[in-house]
Amino acid sequence: MPNTESSISNKINHLFRYEYGKLVSVLTKTFGASHMELAEDVVQDAMLDALNQWEYKGIPDNPVGWIYKVAKNKAINIVNREKYKRLYVSETAQHLQSEWTMQPALHHIFTDKEIADDQLRMIFTCCHPAISQDSQVALTLKTLCGFSIPEISNAFLTSEENIHKRLVRARKSIKVAKVSFEVPSGKALEQRMSSVLETIYLLFNEGYNASSGEDLIRFELCEEAIRLTEIMAQNDNIVNKSNVYALLALMTLNASRFKARTDAHNNIVSLKYQERQHWDRVLINRGLTYLELSTQQNNIGHYHILATISAHHCTATSFETTDWKSILALYDHLISIDNSSIVQLNRVIAISEVHGAKMALNVLDTIEDTTVLSGYLPYYTTKAELHFKNNEKNVARKLLNQALNLPLKGNSKLLINSILKKY
Amino acid sequence: MQEFMLFIKTEGDHLENLSPEEQQAHVQKIGNYIGGLMQSGKLKSAQPLQMNGVTIQGKQGTLKDGPFNESKEVIVGYFHIVAKNLEEAVDIARANPVFDQEEATIEIRPIKQMDGIN
Repeated sequence: MPNTESSISNKINHLFRYEYGKLVSVLTKTFGASHMELAEDVVQDAMLDALNQWEYKGIPDNPVGWIYKVAKNKAINIVNREKYKRLYVSETAQHLQSEWTMQPALHHIFTDKEIADDQLRMIFTCCHPAISQDSQVALTLKTLCGFSIPEISNAFLTSEENIHKRLVRARKSIKVAKVSFEVPSGKALEQRMSSVLETIYLLFNEGYNASSGEDLIRFELCEEAIRLTEIMAQNDNIVNKSNVYALLALMTLNASRFKARTDAHNNIVSLKYQERQHWDRVLINRGLTYLELSTQQNNIGHYHILATISAHHCTATSFETTDWKSILALYDHLISIDNSSIVQLNRVIAISEVHGAKMALNVLDTIEDTTVLSGYLPYYTTKAELHFKNNEKNVARKLLNQALNLPLKGNSKLLINSILKKY
Repeated sequence: MQEFMLFIKTEGDHLENLSPEEQQAHVQKIGNYIGGLMQSGKLKSAQPLQMNGVTIQGKQGTLKDGPFNESKEVIVGYFHIVAKNLEEAVDIARANPVFDQEEATIEIRPIKQMDGIN
């Protein structure tokens, strides 16, 4: 009965995506970071048991409790029956080996606080600098978000084999570098935090920027990035949460526009033409709250600036009534922190709204390093639009035709052609 | 912080004469006690010992077989804990529910610390 099986399996996927990450985190603490895969195997095994049992007996009243119980039993069997096979570094593994301490230990590691702390440890372990960044993202999705390998490969438009390789490399790096399952403290925390946030932002952008791929799964990437950051925001071990809240604000505000960025035919709609009533007000309000929380400590980083820019867009009733002067001031500030050509290009857009296309084109010409920009579609569309406004239609068309020669994904070509028609 | 071994001694198997209900209640109590120690990060490990085994005495290695149920005092388990000082270790030992059942002895011994080699 493949039908029933897949419906139960869907239910399990849906029910346990979050529980999966929690269970794997707790068991990784129990077995040690180098046995992360063992932890995943135990949880997957427990879910497979569930699938087999429930197919015949139906889904129990408390499915989450059921899975937890099975996973706990499996974990106890592993640390006891195979205790000489592996070296467990954790005290928990030892506690699970004594009849005096087993039950209290199980109770202790599954309290809400411990689960939350373990998830935080897992975030820091998956985003450890010993692991390459694309492997960090894959490992995070696999262990903390319960994504399957096919789902990850779908989201990244790459082969399952490729994702599998990234995961193998990530786990190997953890073993080789003897990464401990810990949240760093003191100065080290600040440093590690910024690289964790960077990885999460990358994960978000993979979902937000991709121009093709399934919309549904891409939006899930954005949601997961937000959820992981919320786990960090809720944890008391992190004292200075300014950047955490700023990133949360940025992602939540950007996510509010997710559905308005494409039309019914999955073509990209630029900010100017988006139907603002389709922006998600709930997310906007949440984003504004996060933005407020992010300013409670005296520390303004680039996430703060980007989030504030996004907030200006989200609260403007139309493209024309947007507070471009403030946005330009924010870009001026941002440039002093991050002088990359992409930031400079975005600033040019703000300049054109405040001072006109001619001025914007002048500034655009002063960008020295165009190596990144020459392969970046928005560079061509922006420049073309500025020339168009400046009554240089031929130049504009020429630029767009140049852009058509770029290695473009899916619907980008449609976007260019639709602009060409207008010019 | 200092580490201590707490050796639990009772007269014979202290759980043997309890009814199943009493045993269950005892297990519950000891679970709460151990859980509390874990929560505060004071517990390194704790394990009960079986009642069989042997002792070796003297150079000749004279063997004396278990079980030790008949002996006057027998070590039934140990707690390996971390405490600020001996006083705290004593307080922790005093709270052990083993004392609720019968006469019991807990021997509290600080573990010798090695300061490293220069």
